[in-house]
Amino acid sequence: MDEFKKRKLVDDVASPLIAILAGLLVGAIVMLLTGTDPLHAYGEMFTKSFFKPYYLAETLVRSAPIMLSGVAAAVAWRAGYINLGMQGQMCVGGLVATVMALYLPIDSWWGTVLCFAGGMTAAALFALIPTYLDYKFNASLIITTLMLNYAINHVTNYFVAYPMRDPAGDGMAQQSIQIAKSMRFFRFSNKNAMNSSVFVAVLVVLLMYFVFTKTKFGYESKITGLNKHFAQYGGIKSMKTMFQTMALSGALSGFAACIEIFGVRYRYVNSMFSSTGYAWTGLMAMLIAGYNPLLTLVYSIFLAGLNIGGTALQRTVGVPMQIADIIQCCITLFVSVRILHEFKQMQANKTPARVGGKKGGTT
Amino acid sequence: MKHITKTYGALVANNSIDLTLQKGEILAVVGENGAGKSTLMKILYGLEAYDSGEILINGESRKFRSPHDAIDSGIGMVQQHFMLFPPFTAAENIVYGHEPKRKGILFNRAEASDKVKELCKRYGMYIDPNVKVADCPVGLQQRIEILKVLYQGVEIIIFDEPSAVLTPQEVKELLKTIKDLKQAGKSIILITHKLSEVMAVADRVMVMRLGQLIKTMPIGETSIEEMSFLMVGHKLETRKIKKIGQGSAVLKVEHLTLAGTGERNTLDDVNLFVRRGEIVGIAGVSGNGQSELIQCLTGILKFQAGSVIINDQDVSNRSVQEIRDSGCACIPEDRYYWGNAAEATLVENAIMSHYKKSNLMRYGIFHKKNTTQFANDCMAEFDVRYSSDKQAIQELSGGNVQKLIVAREISQHSPFLIAAEPTRGIDIGAIDFIHSKLLEKREKGDGILLISSELSEIFALSDRIYVMYEGKIAGEFTRKEATNDKVGLLMMGGTLNG
Repeated sequence: MDEFKKRKLVDDVASPLIAILAGLLVGAIVMLLTGTDPLHAYGEMFTKSFFKPYYLAETLVRSAPIMLSGVAAAVAWRAGYINLGMQGQMCVGGLVATVMALYLPIDSWWGTVLCFAGGMTAAALFALIPTYLDYKFNASLIITTLMLNYAINHVTNYFVAYPMRDPAGDGMAQQSIQIAKSMRFFRFSNKNAMNSSVFVAVLVVLLMYFVFTKTKFGYESKITGLNKHFAQYGGIKSMKTMFQTMALSGALSGFAACIEIFGVRYRYVNSMFSSTGYAWTGLMAMLIAGYNPLLTLVYSIFLAGLNIGGTALQRTVGVPMQIADIIQCCITLFVSVRILHEFKQMQANKTPARVGGKKGGTT
Repeated sequence: MKHITKTYGALVANNSIDLTLQKGEILAVVGENGAGKSTLMKILYGLEAYDSGEILINGESRKFRSPHDAIDSGIGMVQQHFMLFPPFTAAENIVYGHEPKRKGILFNRAEASDKVKELCKRYGMYIDPNVKVADCPVGLQQRIEILKVLYQGVEIIIFDEPSAVLTPQEVKELLKTIKDLKQAGKSIILITHKLSEVMAVADRVMVMRLGQLIKTMPIGETSIEEMSFLMVGHKLETRKIKKIGQGSAVLKVEHLTLAGTGERNTLDDVNLFVRRGEIVGIAGVSGNGQSELIQCLTGILKFQAGSVIINDQDVSNRSVQEIRDSGCACIPEDRYYWGNAAEATLVENAIMSHYKKSNLMRYGIFHKKNTTQFANDCMAEFDVRYSSDKQAIQELSGGNVQKLIVAREISQHSPFLIAAEPTRGIDIGAIDFIHSKLLEKREKGDGILLISSELSEIFALSDRIYVMYEGKIAGEFTRKEATNDKVGLLMMGGTLNG
């Protein structure tokens, strides 16, 4: 038992940490090559992302949509459905919620709730389009979800460029008008961006942890992801699981978009979800976390901090902010090496005498 | 190998094992699951590092860091799960890694094909070098695997459970091949559960139990009884099957027909029934429609004609869940493909098909204590050996995985059970245990449909026997009428006269 726990701890915590350190090391090498002192830069970077109230608030606010889209991806991936369309689903959810907020006679907190419900439903339905194509015509979910990201981004951009465009802007900004003050999330101070939407996001992530580990849906989707034949044999309806999972994944993406709009931006802005890359950062966070929502939360905050710190770095030290991207990509790369390694080991384990057994174990 | 010791944490997988192999000898290594024979072979083949001890080849000490080193020292292994690329031809697979080259870089297909032909001739094993592996039956794939090992120029060949996946005819061929290889001067280590094969080909046998070497002895001085006694550590009772009265039919299959891809139906007008308190065996060489029959009965495949009635309910072409609800449990034929999710925990695997019950789940939320309790009870009752219920099931040995699956399905307490290959590839201790559990269920008055390609298993348990051949029921016997010859003849497509 002890040995087992120890090994699990090493798998879940130590390996991502090693990947993170290795990623930072690569970043340091790049900085050395470009003639910057990495220690100074990292010091600056992490102070600016985690240890100054203003930046910490920025980090937390940015982590909210990241952790939500990460969990959205995890929902689908753990069931074996590779959803890469979180970004597109965010566009749809965000736009629909904004339209509702602007053009329906609603206000205050219940108006927000309605908009969230609408945005999530729309995003869920949008996620079901590629699901249906996969189910009916065997069109690869990976490709259709990915491609729809680009298509839907342009469609939503059309709305803010023409029918919904805020005429008050400087003529350059393509964005909708702002939603009513009564429907926005509560901001704690004027000095920074921190607002109550972050707590809502964390609550939802916790809720998803519960769903993953304690519910029938969580169990069925996990088993389907691990071995769909076993799931079928045990009486799990694969079609139902597929549609439920993808709808939930879409709804969570939509939720992420609403959090960003009602908590931070207060309007739909041209390409607001493709330029920020929340969906992809979220995807990385959940990959590092190995689909675990709690760890996804932790890594989302870390990656958001890396972004914020990277931006600050550009201003103060003069290191291009892309360094943060390099580090982030390297971490993901190192984590996927670990995943690959595990995968290889799995294959190796399958081959030599599974019968006979590598572990007798004691009761 | 001298004093090889290997531990996993507190568990000693190999405790100071000595193994000697003479040139041109067949040494059988037998033992229950978890006895440590696979670990020992993995060490010899360079797949696992050992803690202490020494490996000597022709008197020279060697250290293997990978199978590559082992192959260089003349040790090859025929794996239980073949390491072949199905879309490639036999020749391409055999020369893989040591391809004959043209002008130093290009693959010389013609030469590869010639080399393979020459290899076939030398060892008297014939294959068409240009046939695609994907198109070969399992027996032939294994032959390709053996040739691949021979092509690497090894002198010592380890066979890991080679007969586990083969039909009886293929097993005969394989045993002959092993003997031929011995004639050709190769030295062979054979890991197996099947003691009759050991008696048939081996020169010496080495028995292992719980990581210890129990005894090594020449085959002439031992018997199947002695070997099984040494393996299990206690005597296996020869069982008397109680006579019990049989009730009404719990399964009725009428005119079941499933279309095949070609002209022939995969299942053709299958009629059979199972009564309460009866074990009905379906004998047949695998691939004659048994898998499809199971899938039709359990709702995985939809059939075109006929009906399936379980526990007096017509469940023809119903969903898997509806069929399970009607009172049918199923031990699937392939424990890895159908029977478990390798990376899921023991608890998650044990509660499959149980989890919707109200004591385990309310309003879609698990009752954690009850599920854990249920899984642990299941595993305790069926003697599954594990270290933590949060362990992934892939860490268990095959026999323990199978016991968990049997535990799960028997705990359904359903009036009808399908037991498909319930003991394939596991050791005799576990086989004996599972058989006794199946008989216990029969005595409770439940009906069991037993599908097995192991004739001895069919004969040991069944009250009645059907024989399947090419998707049809070729014959039906009561236990008294059935003989090995009669059943065997029908299995091969023959007919009985009178």
